Amino acid sequence: MSVFFEPSDALPIVDLEIALPVGSLQDPAGQEGLAQLTGHLMRRGPRGLSQERFEDRLASLGARMSVEVSMRSTRVRATVLRRNLEPLLTLLADVVWRPALRGNDFSKLKRRAEAALTARLDDDQALGAVCFRQALFGEHPYGRTLSGHTDSLARISIQHAKEFYARNIARGAFLVGVSGHVSEAEVRSLVASHFPKVRRAGRNVSDVPATRARRGRHVVIVDKPERTQTQLIIGTLGARTRDRNLFPLLVSNTAFGGTFSGPLMQQVRGVRGWSYGAYSRLLHSTQRDAWYMSTAPAAEYSADCAALQLDLLERWVDGGTKQTELRFAQRYLINSHCFDRDTASKRLEARLDVELLDIPRSYVDKYDQLVGRVTRQEANNATRARISDKDLTIVVVATASEVATSFERLPGVKSVEIVPFDRN
Amino acid sequence: MGSSEGNRLDPNWPGNHALAFMGAPEVLIDRLNRGVRRRNARWTFVRDQAFGDALKLRRLRLGNGLTVLLLVDRSAPTVSYHTWFRVGSRNERPGKTGLAHLFEHLMFSETRNHPHGEFDRLMEGAGAEANAATWTDWTCYYENAPRDALPLLIELEADRMSNLVLRVPQVTSEKEVVANERKLRVDDDVEGKALEMLYDNAFRRHPYRWPTIGSMQDIRGFTVRDCQEFYRTHYAPGNATVVIAGDFNEQKALSHVQKHYGGLSASRAAKPPTPAKEPSQRGERVLQLTAPTPTEKLLIGYRAPSFSDPHTPALVIANEVLFGGTSSRLHRLFCLDQEVALSVRGSISPFIDPGLFEMWIFLREGKPKEDALALLDGEIDRLGCDGPSRRELDKAINQLELSFLHSMETAGGKAEQIGFYETVANDGAAVFDRLAAYRNVSADDVKRAVTKYLRRSRRTRVEILRKAS
Repeated sequence: MSVFFEPSDALPIVDLEIALPVGSLQDPAGQEGLAQLTGHLMRRGPRGLSQERFEDRLASLGARMSVEVSMRSTRVRATVLRRNLEPLLTLLADVVWRPALRGNDFSKLKRRAEAALTARLDDDQALGAVCFRQALFGEHPYGRTLSGHTDSLARISIQHAKEFYARNIARGAFLVGVSGHVSEAEVRSLVASHFPKVRRAGRNVSDVPATRARRGRHVVIVDKPERTQTQLIIGTLGARTRDRNLFPLLVSNTAFGGTFSGPLMQQVRGVRGWSYGAYSRLLHSTQRDAWYMSTAPAAEYSADCAALQLDLLERWVDGGTKQTELRFAQRYLINSHCFDRDTASKRLEARLDVELLDIPRSYVDKYDQLVGRVTRQEANNATRARISDKDLTIVVVATASEVATSFERLPGVKSVEIVPFDRN
Repeated sequence: MGSSEGNRLDPNWPGNHALAFMGAPEVLIDRLNRGVRRRNARWTFVRDQAFGDALKLRRLRLGNGLTVLLLVDRSAPTVSYHTWFRVGSRNERPGKTGLAHLFEHLMFSETRNHPHGEFDRLMEGAGAEANAATWTDWTCYYENAPRDALPLLIELEADRMSNLVLRVPQVTSEKEVVANERKLRVDDDVEGKALEMLYDNAFRRHPYRWPTIGSMQDIRGFTVRDCQEFYRTHYAPGNATVVIAGDFNEQKALSHVQKHYGGLSASRAAKPPTPAKEPSQRGERVLQLTAPTPTEKLLIGYRAPSFSDPHTPALVIANEVLFGGTSSRLHRLFCLDQEVALSVRGSISPFIDPGLFEMWIFLREGKPKEDALALLDGEIDRLGCDGPSRRELDKAINQLELSFLHSMETAGGKAEQIGFYETVANDGAAVFDRLAAYRNVSADDVKRAVTKYLRRSRRTRVEILRKAS
């Protein structure tokens, strides 16, 4: 049985997690959003309990439950006051083994999912993030949104959700994680009685094709009226999880844009005051995921800010990182690593990620060594090998009439596309 | 403190050994004060207070007026260092709104001992997360760091409390950052804009009426002189509380604090004037905000009591019954049964003076706001008339207890609670009293609080309407 346990007697609470190696990458083409809808439908409660009674029982226990779907995993998480652990576990097991999956709930959920898509249009940051992934990955599954879109949601029926559940969840191939104030013996006994059918989950190494970057620099303006400020994301492909360049690139990226002291933040915010935040992020997955910089400059100097970022990017890729900057980034990563494991639930999450997402165990166990032994040459070679300053996707959420001309003039731009912010 | 049913920070758990590490205070103070002549640098022990069943909050004061609260908790090898100043936007005046917040940004600038940028660089090199927050009643600076970094945190925080250097280039650049932050949080954010309208209209006299981030005109207009004057007036040991929580050696920490803060002069700050009392509201105020938003929304603010008011716990329970999670009355009604809203949420402003009970209704496309308002009014009337059921009370208390425990998971979480309660309720350990107060709330208390505070004549409503494209 795949049970993972992280004890902590610091507080009288217990966190539980059912982690499944299935996510939005398993959505059939044209039915984007199915994994998330199914997860949320399970969350509406087990057979024999109306949703109202299920929610009421959960809250009465001093418990909360959520279902979070990502590209490669589904996590059913619950947290509860220690004294109510056993009844919560019973409810959780019922949700997983005997979900009601009612048609009425499904119809409501679909209407809610559609309403959420509409409401998301208020959030410029979220709009930018979704549009960036779509523009960067195009038709590749990494470009899909977890919550689907209006057309894809319309194609999903309750039957699809039931089949998805039967195919991916009911077989019992998942991991059970428990952290908090509970003994190992108690965990084993409780899990054995509530999850007798659990089989060891396979890792999600979904057979997705390699990602490919579009050649050249391409601008997408997400046109929204009355924007005094813009959300700017500039990025390209990053790394694979099992890429030998991953740790050198992690250190190099941290030196460039991973801290407040790095050149990206200092030049954009410290010197010019152009954006409240200025960071670069490196994502990794089975195939190369994204690397990107994000800032939020005012409309009047958004293109100037983009030009500055492009210049900084070129200098980073071509000139590399200085030894002092590299050492600083290593110190920062190693010293702050204690905050990735200062609670039992964080330690549990790291272990489940290793099991579920095909992350080498050494990335967790030997993190300090892997970071600390990166040399300057390795970091700079990795940056040049993985980060392209030529093939870039530039997404800006802005009022197009205010910024289009200035973005067309950015160096090396091959195309500028304007899309309405409320385009489905 | 607390009964066995409280299930709080249990003393028998092996992780909670704090008492063993906190020696007798008189001996400790004697040792620290030995040979110290400067009055400002001499420690006074004030008291130890129980912090849950197992931990102890120790309160001391330096001769210059700095209050220091210590909570030793070795459950993780980390430490959290908070500095809470009793200054926020309530201490500003019209024409100079946003100064407390701008100043918070400037505190990361250069000092006489460290050039511009070095504060962040030293912190990050040590693996520390350093940040700050400003609100109506306070400004808080905090660091979460590996335990070995504590001496550095103490040195840097003490340094910027008295040695900050304010120059034109930094003030100019930081004003631009804040202007951008305002665009992000207010000008281009429909919720931020609506909140600003709500407080501006719900209050007529009290400084809570202006936004903590300030008006764009005021932000643009600040001078170096404004900032220097603000620093002189509000940043002094007597106006601050330092909270250290986590895995640290008490004596060494106090010795470091003494060394770095002991040379600071006693408070320069004059006691700020008491803000004007807000006249009572005698009729509903309704405003409209037209914005490029896909869906309409309602934001309602009822005049609410202060954080420390004895009625507040009952109102918090009412909020939990109405808005707390997916089993709450209004979530069920609006989001599940009637499907008129995508989400609803409520909160009571945790202010020193009376604030607002804010309620948000995020309507679904095409759902009339009038219907939503009628539903809300009906449910509030029902709660005021019948009160919550016993089951609803228990549910609310369990949920509040769970939230409370989660807020205590890390050293940073504990330090934040202590600093907030110390600054707003004058007692860093009062967070446990608050939990006990929730347990003592009866259905009648909720009825009384709802009837007294959730009156239509005492509310301000912002209707957020869709601008036609």
